[in-house]
Amino acid sequence: MIQKKICLLGASSVGKTSLVKQYVEGIFSEKYLTTIGVKVDKKTISIENDEIQFMLWDMEGNDSYNVFQEKYLRGASAYIVIVDQTRTSSLTEGIDIHTLARQVTNCPALLAINKSDLPATWHIDNSENEHYKKLFDLQFSTSAKTGFNVEEMFLTLAKLLLRSEKNDITTN
Amino acid sequence: MPENAATEHTESESDQELATLRTLILGQDHSIITQSIRKDAKSIVADVITEALRDRQKKDHSVDKVLQPFVEDSVKNSVAHNSEQMVSSLYPLVGSLVRKSVAAFLSDFMEKTNQLLENSLTIKGLKWRLKARRSGVSYAQYAASQTFAYRVEHVFLIHRETGLLLNTIALDDVDNSDADIVSAMLTAINDFVGDSFSPSHEGQKEQLQSVSTDNFNLLIKPGPRALVVAAVIGNPPQRIKDQLQLTIESIHSLYHDELNDFTGDNQPFSTSDSLLRDCLLSEQKNTINAKKRPPWFAWTIVLLVVIYAGYQSLNWIKSKKLHEKIMQLDTQPGLIIKQLNIDTLDEITLDILRDPDAINITDWLSINGINTEQLNLIERNFHSFEPQILQLRAQRIMKKHPNINLVWQNDKLSLIGTIDIIEADQLFTTLAIAGFTQGQNLLTDELQQKTPAFLSTSKHIKQALFDDLMGRIASIQLNFSVASEEITPKMQQSLIHISQYVEQLEQLAEVLNINFGLLIMGSSDSTGNKVTNDILSMKRANNAADILKNKGLNKNKMYVLGLGQINITDVSNTARTVMFNIIYVSDE
Repeated sequence: MIQKKICLLGASSVGKTSLVKQYVEGIFSEKYLTTIGVKVDKKTISIENDEIQFMLWDMEGNDSYNVFQEKYLRGASAYIVIVDQTRTSSLTEGIDIHTLARQVTNCPALLAINKSDLPATWHIDNSENEHYKKLFDLQFSTSAKTGFNVEEMFLTLAKLLLRSEKNDITTN
Repeated sequence: MPENAATEHTESESDQELATLRTLILGQDHSIITQSIRKDAKSIVADVITEALRDRQKKDHSVDKVLQPFVEDSVKNSVAHNSEQMVSSLYPLVGSLVRKSVAAFLSDFMEKTNQLLENSLTIKGLKWRLKARRSGVSYAQYAASQTFAYRVEHVFLIHRETGLLLNTIALDDVDNSDADIVSAMLTAINDFVGDSFSPSHEGQKEQLQSVSTDNFNLLIKPGPRALVVAAVIGNPPQRIKDQLQLTIESIHSLYHDELNDFTGDNQPFSTSDSLLRDCLLSEQKNTINAKKRPPWFAWTIVLLVVIYAGYQSLNWIKSKKLHEKIMQLDTQPGLIIKQLNIDTLDEITLDILRDPDAINITDWLSINGINTEQLNLIERNFHSFEPQILQLRAQRIMKKHPNINLVWQNDKLSLIGTIDIIEADQLFTTLAIAGFTQGQNLLTDELQQKTPAFLSTSKHIKQALFDDLMGRIASIQLNFSVASEEITPKMQQSLIHISQYVEQLEQLAEVLNINFGLLIMGSSDSTGNKVTNDILSMKRANNAADILKNKGLNKNKMYVLGLGQINITDVSNTARTVMFNIIYVSDE
């Protein structure tokens, strides 16, 4: 079976944990997030004849008190930066995290704009945010509450990873 | 003197000259010659160094001692600065060593497992089962913790960089679907520890070697690209760590390319099972119990309990057998066991019903080897009608009548012989009490009854006897069916009796000087024609008279009457009879 390590990054309380909570199989409690800064869950996705298993590394939210733990990014096949569309600050924090992450890896990066079920205070399509879009390989608008686009995001990521593997275009 | 002085002078001069000459030829401090030699020193030494080293080593073993620190330093240097190279060149060497020890490990492990299986069938095994239940763990777990000083339960092979699980095996092939999450999390924890407590000046990260709880250990043996992790119960010895080291070395040498090119596909590592299985080590505890003193007290109690239980069950079996034996009494004729209680072998209560003619119970018990001293026998009498008992009883009764023969036929007693009429009366009464009913199981047709000779002495008695016979005759009545005058065999019997009685009457009448006649009266029911009925009643009486005449009765002494219908309301419908009566007649 093909396994991939995927990291979930983002500012505090953007809904990283909630985003995967309903979606994954896990055995560890969320206490791990605060004690060692990461919790691992898994999700198996079937695409045609292939089966791919994501090991989802849910990393502790980063803010001024928590330093970005780039050690957990080692060996990741992709990472997802999650931002909250009801908080503009989460986008800038997300971009900061992305910049830090880029220093240690150049694997595919996804942007998940979460809480799509709530009214947005900013839009990525706005001219001042437009350039951020180019920083990411893919971008999704998701809702942890309704589950909107969550499956789709992981499915698209799985396809992307499988395709790049088959074309032997390894990014790292 | 001047000569001597001159000579001395000359010697010192020549010495000086020689030194000057030497200096001229060889240079200052032989510099010319050393310089010319140094030019070719490398080639000169290279030609002989091997031989020289060998010779010197042979001579005083000083070379290796001199070289040792150099080698140590250089290896240290290599490990410190060129560890990758050092490691990759050493791994293949270690791989072969591992394979060699596999066979030894396997056979050892099988032996231990076999012992474990044996244990489950012994007292110890039972004890463990009890303890395991009490402490709420599975027997296998308890047995493992008791049997094994340590045991490797799981082995994980984890890709170091990504934390992805490459392969895993478990001792009992239990499904471990969460092994991948565990391995990722373990890598995360390892990273956490490595980064959190790393002494940063050396740049080398701290590596988690083991995680321990009271009874559980996680041993981690990292390699450059992958790490092998063993989950161990008990106290893991150094041996496991050594084995893990050998295994990770073999894996690096065998899967070198796969590890370098790993992109998430763990398929190529599925063949590493056998290598990982080498790490499933265990060791049995065997010395702890041997040193302890055997618990004599406990064993004594156990022994006593066993003896008591054995004694009780032996008694139980004995009393059961005794019960069966005594119950055989019930099959004896004339004996019925009402109740048999065997509380202990010394307390037996037997409540039994016994016919007086049945066998003696105490005798039977003694014959059958049953001690009657402890037996509380409650015997009550009853009358049995079992054929065997009836026979015995009849024989007992008939002992007083040796002239009469007994014949048993279809459980019926026939009496053959001659008996006094009074004795016969008593006999029949006794037999009736004993369970014999005339006509049913007692046949007396062949029993001749006669007047006893001693009676002829007393006239009163004779008269009484005469009256008795008269009464007997009068009590006999032949009952015909409708419109029939036929004498049935049953009537024949009654007629035989009458003829016998008349015969006796004749003897008595002679003595008593009585003249008597037999009145034979036929009758008919009230249905039908009166004339026909008169004729029918006459015919019935005549038929009876004919039979009696054939039996030897004097025709002149019989008075035959046809009564016709009897006009008495209560009997008129059924009065199809012949009745008899003795009448006194005058001499003429």
